[in-house]
Amino acid sequence: MIVRYLLAALVAGLFSGVLMTAAQEARVVPLILHAEEFEGGGETAPATEGTTPSTDGATQTQTQTQEHSSLGAVLLDVASSFSPISVAYAHEGEEHEEGGIMFGMSRFSGTLLANLVTGSGFALLLAGFSLVSGHSITVANGALWGAAGWLAVHMLPAIGLPPELPGFPAADLGDRQVWWVATIVLSAAGLYLLFLKDGIVAKIAGIVLIAAPQVYGAPQPGDISSNVPAVLGAEFAVAALATTLFFWIVLGLSLGFANEKIAKAA
Amino acid sequence: MAVSSTSSVTLSANDRLVAGVFALLIGAFLVFGAGLANSAVLHDTAHDTRHSYGFPCH
Repeated sequence: MIVRYLLAALVAGLFSGVLMTAAQEARVVPLILHAEEFEGGGETAPATEGTTPSTDGATQTQTQTQEHSSLGAVLLDVASSFSPISVAYAHEGEEHEEGGIMFGMSRFSGTLLANLVTGSGFALLLAGFSLVSGHSITVANGALWGAAGWLAVHMLPAIGLPPELPGFPAADLGDRQVWWVATIVLSAAGLYLLFLKDGIVAKIAGIVLIAAPQVYGAPQPGDISSNVPAVLGAEFAVAALATTLFFWIVLGLSLGFANEKIAKAA
Repeated sequence: MAVSSTSSVTLSANDRLVAGVFALLIGAFLVFGAGLANSAVLHDTAHDTRHSYGFPCH
């Protein structure tokens, strides 16, 4: 019986992971690839572009159209996305141990695998939260569970640590991870008190828990200059939050469905 | 099977707790592995996923 609940979560997580991969490939990965062109960017010197006088407009549009119309570049991009060898992962200024993608997979398969694992992980966390709190997830309330999961894991932590493109400046990794995990735990507890507990004291405690990490503040980098254009970062932050919202709503609904079909079918 | 009166989940309260804690532990392990683990191979494999989910991983 216990195993059936875990199985239901796994099925929902794998399904959501596949759909999330499609959403990412459509909206997020193109922005990551674009940002990687600027990452570390010494030679292309995108920073000087802004200082170019406006009389240079003609040459700028020319390079832009070249960028978009070059069929060869597009073919190379497509080929490189299927190739197991990719230089794009080597982040500037990091002491990398020998990296590379597991089992010699392509970049896309690596992303798909990671999404399947992440999807299963979040599905088990959501199912575990529901089981421990004693409120079951159904098709009727699944989307709301998903939305709450998105708030706790993505939206509320993003207030302090917005999703980052490659090449963005960031504070110390350990500090950010501690703040991130603490914010998710406090936000989830706060949302539980806010939505699933009765009484004015519980509601106020919920709001306090949700606000606490934001008032404390996320670790911020000292120097925020970056070679990656700000517009790209803004587009990416919205795309990342939108696709994760999609993922969590699919996850909540499919977990509700799987609970009714698999877990209760015994 | 006993049905806990305070919940609509059709497991006994004890089984429910065991299943829930078990699910939370495995789930946290999987999310940690895919999202935060400090291994170059895991990082490179999950690179685009980590950025998309906003994991603070590097």
